[in-house]
Amino acid sequence: MDLGRLAWRTPTGAMLWEIWGRHKCIFPSHGLALAASACLVCWKEHGAPENAVGFVYLISSGCFCGSFIPLLACLGYLEFDAGRVQLGFPGRLLLKPVSTTRLVLVPMVYGGAIIVAVLALWTQLVVRHLIAIPASNLLWIGTVLLSFFWWMQALAWSLPSLKGRVCIDLMMAATHFLLGALPMMPVNAPTRWRWPILIALLATVVPAAWVGLKMVRQGRWDGPSSIARSWSRLRSPLAWSPRRRFHSAFGAQFWLEWRRQGWRLPGISGGLALLVVPIALIATTKLGTLEPPPPGVILSILVLMPLLFSGVMGHALGKFDPLDTTRELPVYIAIRPMTDAGFVMAKLVMALAASVLTWLLTLAGACLCLVIMGTGTLFSRAGSATPYGPVGIAIGCVPLLLLLVMLTWKNMVAGIGAVLTGRQWIVTVFLCKSAVFYTGLLLLGEFAIIDQDLRGVLLHWLPGLLIVLLAAKIVFSIYAVAWGLSRNAITAWAVGWTIGGWFVCGLFVAGCGGLVCHAMNKPELWIWVALAGLLVLPLAELAIAPLALAWNRHR
Amino acid sequence: MKFELNSPSSAEAAIAVSGVSRHFGAKAALDDVSVFVPRGSVLGLVGENGAGKTTLIKHLLGSLRAQTGSVRVFGLDPVLDPVGALGRVGYLSERRDLPGWMRIGEFMRYTQAFYPKWDEQYAGQLLEQFQLNPAQKIKTLSQGEQAKTGLLTALAYRPDLLILDEPSSGLDPVVRRDILEAIIRVVAEEGRTVLFSSHLLDEVERVANHVVMLQRGRVLLDGSTEEVRRGHISAVLSFAAPPATAPVVAGAHAVAGSGSEWRVLFGGSHLELETAAASVGARVVEKRTPTLDEILVARAGGKGS
Repeated sequence: MDLGRLAWRTPTGAMLWEIWGRHKCIFPSHGLALAASACLVCWKEHGAPENAVGFVYLISSGCFCGSFIPLLACLGYLEFDAGRVQLGFPGRLLLKPVSTTRLVLVPMVYGGAIIVAVLALWTQLVVRHLIAIPASNLLWIGTVLLSFFWWMQALAWSLPSLKGRVCIDLMMAATHFLLGALPMMPVNAPTRWRWPILIALLATVVPAAWVGLKMVRQGRWDGPSSIARSWSRLRSPLAWSPRRRFHSAFGAQFWLEWRRQGWRLPGISGGLALLVVPIALIATTKLGTLEPPPPGVILSILVLMPLLFSGVMGHALGKFDPLDTTRELPVYIAIRPMTDAGFVMAKLVMALAASVLTWLLTLAGACLCLVIMGTGTLFSRAGSATPYGPVGIAIGCVPLLLLLVMLTWKNMVAGIGAVLTGRQWIVTVFLCKSAVFYTGLLLLGEFAIIDQDLRGVLLHWLPGLLIVLLAAKIVFSIYAVAWGLSRNAITAWAVGWTIGGWFVCGLFVAGCGGLVCHAMNKPELWIWVALAGLLVLPLAELAIAPLALAWNRHR
Repeated sequence: MKFELNSPSSAEAAIAVSGVSRHFGAKAALDDVSVFVPRGSVLGLVGENGAGKTTLIKHLLGSLRAQTGSVRVFGLDPVLDPVGALGRVGYLSERRDLPGWMRIGEFMRYTQAFYPKWDEQYAGQLLEQFQLNPAQKIKTLSQGEQAKTGLLTALAYRPDLLILDEPSSGLDPVVRRDILEAIIRVVAEEGRTVLFSSHLLDEVERVANHVVMLQRGRVLLDGSTEEVRRGHISAVLSFAAPPATAPVVAGAHAVAGSGSEWRVLFGGSHLELETAAASVGARVVEKRTPTLDEILVARAGGKGS
């Protein structure tokens, strides 16, 4: 008899084994990120050049966030129920003859212990060498993180089907964020209350999770709520309104994509721009304890937010259901008489619509900020400082806005081909490739700043490299398109739109680049800007996407 | 006993599967399967769990690509021409994986957009018949209601071929009756083709006019329901001297009993049965046509010849 395995033959053991078994892959990658960061810190401490310090900070913080966030997600002990379209406690365990107390405590204690231990390791090996934070603050941040983790678990377990749960989650996250940042803030008033508040949060989280899970076990959340029933009755005639029929299959697919994913980017980044930034601005101004940030900083944050979020969210664009973990094409979509290119085009158009809406909302948020700050003055100041006048500046912003829309769209569709294959290993390879490529690029840039010779060599080879890469991209795209056409995965009109769109956007980038180069009195750089623009705009990714979907759809 | 046409062409058959094999790793899910379904027939696809029924259906929908052989639906390859082939197929999935976040009405509108032949009046009738509320979210529906929703959207555009994968699994008798009624109505009224897989052999017997039995990825039986039943005899053999062990009767797919009386499920004619019984020193004391259920149990549980 294998005595070692007897310990697992208890409900607690089985749950621990399951958590470990499902997520053991995450630990080696996390260890790798920690080791890489520790090595970089070591390098910094033992004579890294002054210029490289920023790089160490960047990579270490990237490794920390990139490995710690998945760890939180894994230890959350959440499972997606495709039938009910909800994320909650693994449903199969609710019917096991195990007390609710045990169901609640095992994942919470196990997850909490690992998170605290891993954070302690990061603190010892990396964080304290990079940032001078007092030990008491580190303890505080660790405890806040634990409370945050437990509350996220508790809310997801207790309110799996609540429609507005994301708002409650966001509020809880914001509360913890503010609480965690309190010691670093120059505002003194709430500081003495911070420990009592945190202790209250920690003391209530387990009972909250217990009560919520108990209610889930008793089926209190099953079926539509009375509000949902009333709403359904009201909506009933609307649902049958002939006005709302789709005119084409493409329209229906676009609607599906928009409902599942399209609203997310405008909702989050545009919503933040419209609400959070002005609120933060008013708060800081009215408190009077802080200097209001300059308009340039606010505008930079507003511009960066959609670009950042689009990069993060773009990864999910290839999925047909962002919450689905299988990555396979859902049957109810796969059996529709539509070409693979048609499905892909619906995604691309949705991404474009999302990008446009995001930037319109962001623009509105920016205008709101300027009005709140009492500086409709930004344009007038810029207008008076340049020979173009305020109207000329405003018109000049249109191409910039279009460029931002294009960049956001590009961010969203990058990697669409990898995700559309429906194979996790391909997605992993793609992510690793991207990480290696961008880290390499960053390293190269960093070393080029330090090393004059290297910079000279790079500048010498850059034009040739750009031409070779662009040629490779075009050849690869032609091959992918030909392959797709031969397998009926892509249609002629989709090819036309893809190539035409790429070419027109490339010309636009080249035109903008030309204007900028002319303004900078460096017209010789124009051709390289144009080449770089054509290289950055997605073509091969889009050419391969229908084939990738065909591979997923016809396994 | 094949019911296929003598030289079935893809154009004549609603479904023409020819020599299709599919392996998942070392396991052969389908092994040289050939099935031809004439237009206007109702085909029951039966077999144990893991026999390859769903795999075969996935090939018909183009969800799986044939590793060898060819699949044609109305003469079209569902992988190379999904628009042409799938536009004529209605499908109810075994897993009922409908979009839980949509309302029934929204799902109907979404589906409608793909099929120009969508019959709004018929959809309304089905909605009423199945007592579904279009404003209700799919995720709040019971399993039976989800099956009805799936069936509604598969039927409302009057597809030339209706594929139902385990339509009855997990459903109560009332829903089963509704589904069967709908199928029968479709077939009777418009002479279209239906293929459905099922564990419930009595259902297949009632509804299907042809049956294909799969076992471990191979076609075990393929013929009209009546032919398949009449090709087998359930008989009781009486032995003058009771055998100590189960007697070996040539042509019998299953032998069960004790003492002097043994029940056999025999594959062959009445004359062949009499001859086989005489050869082991027994006489036939009772004969009847077996049910499909008995045939499946005997053949799937037996040597699989």
